[in-house]
Amino acid sequence: MASPALPTPAKAQPSPEQENLLRNLPSDARAAYERSHNWADPGVLDPVILAILSDFAPHSCAAHLTTLPGSTRLIDDLGFDSLAITEVVFFAEDLFGISITNREIAEVRTIDDLRAFIRSKVATRSTP
Amino acid sequence: MPPLPVITGLGFITSIGNDRASVLRSLRELRHGFEPVEFLGNPNLPVKVAGTVKGFDFPTPNRRDWRWPASLTVDRELLRGLAPHGVYALCALKQALADAGLDPAALADGDTGLYCASAGSPFLLGHFLDQMHATRGERGNPMCIVSSIAGTLNFNLAACYKISGAVCGFSSACASSSHALGYAMDEIRLGRQTRMLVVAAEDVTAESILPFSSLRVLSNNPDPETASRPFDRQRDGFVGTGGSVAIVVEDAALARRRGVRIYAELIGWGQAGDGHSVAASHPEGAGLRSAMQRALGDAHVNAAAIDYVNAHAASTPSGDRSEVLALHSVFTGNSAKPHISSTKALTGHGLSLAGAMEIAFCALAVADRFIPGAAHLEEPDAVCAGLDLPRTSLDEAPRLVLKNSSGFGGSNVCHVLRRPA
Repeated sequence: MASPALPTPAKAQPSPEQENLLRNLPSDARAAYERSHNWADPGVLDPVILAILSDFAPHSCAAHLTTLPGSTRLIDDLGFDSLAITEVVFFAEDLFGISITNREIAEVRTIDDLRAFIRSKVATRSTP
Repeated sequence: MPPLPVITGLGFITSIGNDRASVLRSLRELRHGFEPVEFLGNPNLPVKVAGTVKGFDFPTPNRRDWRWPASLTVDRELLRGLAPHGVYALCALKQALADAGLDPAALADGDTGLYCASAGSPFLLGHFLDQMHATRGERGNPMCIVSSIAGTLNFNLAACYKISGAVCGFSSACASSSHALGYAMDEIRLGRQTRMLVVAAEDVTAESILPFSSLRVLSNNPDPETASRPFDRQRDGFVGTGGSVAIVVEDAALARRRGVRIYAELIGWGQAGDGHSVAASHPEGAGLRSAMQRALGDAHVNAAAIDYVNAHAASTPSGDRSEVLALHSVFTGNSAKPHISSTKALTGHGLSLAGAMEIAFCALAVADRFIPGAAHLEEPDAVCAGLDLPRTSLDEAPRLVLKNSSGFGGSNVCHVLRRPA
């Protein structure tokens, strides 16, 4: 049976600033961002989130980030420092057009925390 | 014996070479590092030449777009806090440490300090401030301050190398890194530290260089072969450059214990203000004259004993003239006259970087036994009559070298280097 037709999305274009942030991420992350951006489906964001984490991760752990369990702790296990986490959050804010408070940043401890957090923020944002 | 600061390691990322061997060849053969540039994509700008740093590229403020030679490594944890000149500085410091035979782990001993000089990164700071204004203050990059203000080199390098000795940045415009080296010498002479790392760097960007055009001090000569010609009658301003130089300074006793090569001894320095103008040098070079005399006094050396002067001369009409008058007043009446040249004819003016870069050149001249010539000098300004400005590099081994630096506000700093016995 054919899937029900999806509603025609109003195709949103990333802003020049968002394009600038995106162009150095891997192609699968860019494609996932495109999907989430146009279909407002935060469920496809994983490759984007992992690509951002990988980009800001300390050198020693960046390569195998995608194979790690979601319970991996950013500071204790991956060697992130608080500045690096702030940078990840800053990047995500700009890319997804969301806003994250300092209190919220402090609650992000694991890869899963970050994943769930960005998904929920993206799902509730007003305009991409 | 009281501590004697000596130079044991040098690192170069400059317009005339990204390693000691290339720099040495450029100085000996008078090869310049200039290229045509078009700042801000604007062909109408009168400034058309810069002392470019080859093999590096910083096309946007986005660090993922930055490139450096494949032979150099820059860790990503560090990169987030660095400006373009921070990347140069890291590369230069790695070279200098290797040159001095130092294990980076040894720098955390508390006996090693770090003095730096840079003007910060107007390129990055401008970008971050634009971002701030565009969001009416609601957004900001967490690394804005540490990567772009004038202390960025000491912030980053002190953390990277776990320096627990003296750490400071110096800000006296084009005399900054000469101040850094002078106070580094004092740390060693006072017995507070046994080793000092002196690192100076500047971006090579429109944001760093073009504001000097508003001050009318940049050359408008489009020819890379003649745009920078200190002491020449036709000089019309300086050519901007950047890059980085790192200098390892150690107490001679420590250097001897470690059995490392000593490039040159740092036997004295002096400084004096012009007390004259925020931007222009004193018309007779009063501050520079005093600074030279104080450096010679600190070194217990007579002016007549100086073999070579590496001048500050940036190729500006009034600045070069002031320095020449100061040189006349210090050296006239002495039976021996030093050879004089300004290596800015080859590199361009490195601003905060200039002093340390040129002191490193002097150390090379002392260790490699030559005197850099006065490049691009065709017809010396009449005021230079009586000064010895060799047109080519000389195979003469200088025993005593004087280095001049001058910066905005009339800061003048001079150093005396001596060949080790």
